[in-house]
Amino acid sequence: MDSTSPDFSSPAGARPDASPSDTPPPLAIYFDGLTNRRRLVTLAFGPDLDIVEDGAAAATWRYDDLRAVDGGPGTLRLKNVAGLPLARLEIRDPAPQAEIRARARFLAIGRGSPQTGRIVGWSLAAICSIVLIVLFGVPLVAERMVPLVPMSFERRLGGVVDNQVRAIFGGKVCTDPEGNAAFAKMVEKLREASHVEMPLQTAVLASSIPNALALPGGKIYLFNGLLQKANGPDEIAGVIAHEMGHVRHRDQIRVVIQNGGTSFLIGLLFGDFTGSTAAIFTARSLVDASYSRQVEGSADAFAIETMHALGRSPAPMGELLFRVTGTQGNKTIGILASHPLTEARRELMRREDRPATGPDILSPAEWRALKNVCGPQRAK
Amino acid sequence: MDDTVLAGPAPGRSARVAFTGARTDFIRLVRRGALLELVTAGFYRFWLATDIRHALWSGTSIEGDAAEYTGTARELLIGFLFALAILVPIYLVYFLIGIEIERAKAFASLPLFLFFYAFGQFAIFRARRYRATRTVWRGVRFWMSGSGWAYAWRACLWTFATIFTLGGLLPWRESALERYKMRHLHYGDLPARFEASGWTLFKRGWWLWLLAFLIIPIPFIYPAYRAILWRWWIEGVRFGTLRFESVLEAGDLMGLYWATIGWIVLFMSLAGGAFGIVAAALPHLLGAPAGATGIVWLIRQHPVLIIALYLVDYLAIALFAGFVVRVYLVRGVWERVVTSATVYNLENADNVRVMGGLASALGEGLVDGLDVAGF
Repeated sequence: MDSTSPDFSSPAGARPDASPSDTPPPLAIYFDGLTNRRRLVTLAFGPDLDIVEDGAAAATWRYDDLRAVDGGPGTLRLKNVAGLPLARLEIRDPAPQAEIRARARFLAIGRGSPQTGRIVGWSLAAICSIVLIVLFGVPLVAERMVPLVPMSFERRLGGVVDNQVRAIFGGKVCTDPEGNAAFAKMVEKLREASHVEMPLQTAVLASSIPNALALPGGKIYLFNGLLQKANGPDEIAGVIAHEMGHVRHRDQIRVVIQNGGTSFLIGLLFGDFTGSTAAIFTARSLVDASYSRQVEGSADAFAIETMHALGRSPAPMGELLFRVTGTQGNKTIGILASHPLTEARRELMRREDRPATGPDILSPAEWRALKNVCGPQRAK
Repeated sequence: MDDTVLAGPAPGRSARVAFTGARTDFIRLVRRGALLELVTAGFYRFWLATDIRHALWSGTSIEGDAAEYTGTARELLIGFLFALAILVPIYLVYFLIGIEIERAKAFASLPLFLFFYAFGQFAIFRARRYRATRTVWRGVRFWMSGSGWAYAWRACLWTFATIFTLGGLLPWRESALERYKMRHLHYGDLPARFEASGWTLFKRGWWLWLLAFLIIPIPFIYPAYRAILWRWWIEGVRFGTLRFESVLEAGDLMGLYWATIGWIVLFMSLAGGAFGIVAAALPHLLGAPAGATGIVWLIRQHPVLIIALYLVDYLAIALFAGFVVRVYLVRGVWERVVTSATVYNLENADNVRVMGGLASALGEGLVDGLDVAGF
């Protein structure tokens, strides 16, 4: 702390003229705002503050124009809002500091952050608005924007995803002609019953993962793994109808818009908040999962409707899903799940079970052909 | 320090750089800032960063004259909003270009990251320019000329060369980039330059480079590297004939980094333990049936509760880590580094005239928005 004591004859000042003869008037250091010359001055507290150097007035500052700025411990550093922006007056003695504080009324304006309440208030308002936008605004905007996205763009996006899906699942398209003919027949029936008008491209992929996917732009993949778990054509038909629901609702492009919007807004919300990535990740997972569950729920409703239109029961689809996943309630955290829980979906489809009124979707021979579309399978 | 002045034969005035900022004040400032950051979901960061700079700048003095930081939080906020206005359309275009390229070949859009790297370097240059123009000493401000893009492409080429040589060219990268930044820095009408060579840095730090290939000692290597880098940097800075020397040793920052690691690990174990105890006690309090596995039951029956608990734990750790980093790695390193320095030929910085205008805080906003670190 020694270095900050008001010791002007130290090597720092190095001014021989600071002799002890002029003790009464308080000392200060003045920078005139033009150069960095350190001018040793005295202060005269008149109606205005007179800054005097070697007996001559160097400057006169009005008390109301004085503002305190950072000056280091123990130093009162002043600027003059009516003067040059960098002109500074530094007072290190407590007595003249007190004198200034008593006379200058607006010393503290613009200092520190006394507006903390306002910052907190505005931040809370911003958080509320972002949360509301994420929960209600983004789905609404996505809903309105989806019809505006041209089909050609969606197909282009589908091309990108297609490349990635094939890279990830390593799936080759199964080529058995009879199996593909049976699959095409099923797809055509479902499409007529559900009035899906956009062109569809469907294929069975030789992947052992039990799944089916709809890509943007009307591409539907059935994975052989799911096909092999199915016991009858109605089970697979329900799943394909579900995927058609995604295509019909253009869910993929909607999800792209929704997830892009939320991740941007949530990132904005947390900003650079110390290591916020995990918080962002959690928040995004929750929001995306809730969007996703809504979307899946409506695709299920679409599948049920389509199966009813064909005079077939949607219940077998629920049984197939349950066979694939088993009971999920004790393994999955509901609010983080992307789909409604399988047991809930099976319940829903069982409730919609009706005796068959329409013809079989595929004949037993066609079903056998479809099962073998990726080559003859080993007996279970 | 005074001895050098009184010794007479020394050619010019010299002074040890002093730091007088009180640690307790800083801790109070940072503690309050961390809580406000929590309450405002991070929006307080502009005010906290400004307060921290006020504290560091005004605590640092040469010949008894403390520096002054004249930037405001409002400028940082506006800089951030401008950065958003620039980044949002870029992200959108990036997304569309990405789709076009990926269509040709899966995962081919990775090189577009290069563009963002260059943008980050631009931001680093502009952020330093902002800080320089908000730094005042003895009533004269620093300022910077030069172009952010000219800096960015230099930085990209040097980074590429550095990666290509497995870090071998890092010292030359540092010195070339620093030379660019420093030759555009001015204190009033006194221009700065940078004279430390990459070779000097290489001679001091080559052993760290070799050790870095072993991966394990990185928590030891990094503090030593920072110390060597800081000393080299301080000793390379020139304003006319004014120059600096530093007595910072390679091990001088080790304690600060390890204190940070130690506090964070300690706090994480405490927070993890508290989480475990609460998670173990809750099933009993909420009446879990006998025979149910506590934590599984809890996750299944009260998922919101367990996620909330996890978030509270996580936020507590994040806040504490931020607090410790600011106390040790921001203030601690600053104090250690600046007080290691002695200025020579101070008379060369007398009678400097005020020059140069203020730069916008756009660079600071971009640094914030792009999450890049640099100085």
